[in-house]
Amino acid sequence: MALKKKKRSSKKEELAITSMMDMMTIILVFLLKSYSTTEVSVTPSGEMELPTSTAQQNPEMAVQLLVSKTQILVDGAPVLNLTTMPDEQNPGQTLVVVPEDEKKGQMITDLYDVLLDKAEQAKALGEASGSDEHAFKGRILLQCDKTLPFSVIREVMYTAGQAQFSEFKFVVYKQE
Amino acid sequence: MAGKGRREHQEEPLDLVPIMNLVTILIPFLLMSAQFVSLAVIDSTLPAIGPPQETQEEPDDEPPLMLSVAVTDQGFTILGDNGVVTGEAEEGGEEAAEGEPEPTVPCTERPCTSVESYDYEELTRMLGLIKDEYPDDQNVILVPESRVHYEVIVRTMDASRNDPKTKGEDGSYRELFPFVVIAGGAQ
Repeated sequence: MALKKKKRSSKKEELAITSMMDMMTIILVFLLKSYSTTEVSVTPSGEMELPTSTAQQNPEMAVQLLVSKTQILVDGAPVLNLTTMPDEQNPGQTLVVVPEDEKKGQMITDLYDVLLDKAEQAKALGEASGSDEHAFKGRILLQCDKTLPFSVIREVMYTAGQAQFSEFKFVVYKQE
Repeated sequence: MAGKGRREHQEEPLDLVPIMNLVTILIPFLLMSAQFVSLAVIDSTLPAIGPPQETQEEPDDEPPLMLSVAVTDQGFTILGDNGVVTGEAEEGGEEAAEGEPEPTVPCTERPCTSVESYDYEELTRMLGLIKDEYPDDQNVILVPESRVHYEVIVRTMDASRNDPKTKGEDGSYRELFPFVVIAGGAQ
């Protein structure tokens, strides 16, 4: 009888949530601190690591062009794959290149088509809105892996330039 | 007796369950919009595509100084509209201006194997000396080689943007050449 009574009384006791509340409050403060309202976000992955820079300018919304070690994406949609081939001048090392059959001279044809589409869309949107703020300015956000050779970047920049994007914004990690 | 009853009332624990509910809902929402790395952007306009000589042959836009920095696997070479800038002008002739173009700021190890082997501080110092001579100039053209890594280009842009060692009057870093244009580069 005594045992039963004890059990019942412990059931009536309330769950101690004060400690849990403490924890939650700390988490809440931490999350509020890292809360960001910027529209641009990066998804870190093994194939894509941005360089670090002392630049302080904040990113703004634009067409996002992402060049990782293996592929090129526009606004999150894959456009084409990059290949890795052995570097002829530095034996033993590899070099990321755009496949020869994907480009015409310096221009990457598939990427050009996609970017031109985006430019037309942005222009139509800008005209429809009628305000200067939303007008097409040829802005493009470039997120590139830090180990990419300049040859790939140059071809991507050239292609974007041909597709009427002339204001490049290189996305980098801000140095703390 | 009435007082005793009140005391009993006060000892009742605070009901934290509604706050818990609120916080539990807030946490996933904040987690979703939390950003653990802060991003920045570097502005650059459309580069002139082609060999670096072409960019130097168009002095109409910038008559006073066409400052270019070539990035090769040997180091940085600073070029003006009248040829390669070497250490000679500033430091009293250690290097010959003619003949085999020697990088203005050679790497600490040659050829440069890693991002860190480029001497960014020396480049900043040299550009600071050029800035002293041409205080109104704001542009610099980067001419990287094909194999130069993107990170090196970003670091070079940082080095030419401002000088973290010299502070201006308002406490900010001294601005060198903030408008960086990337040119087509050498093949």
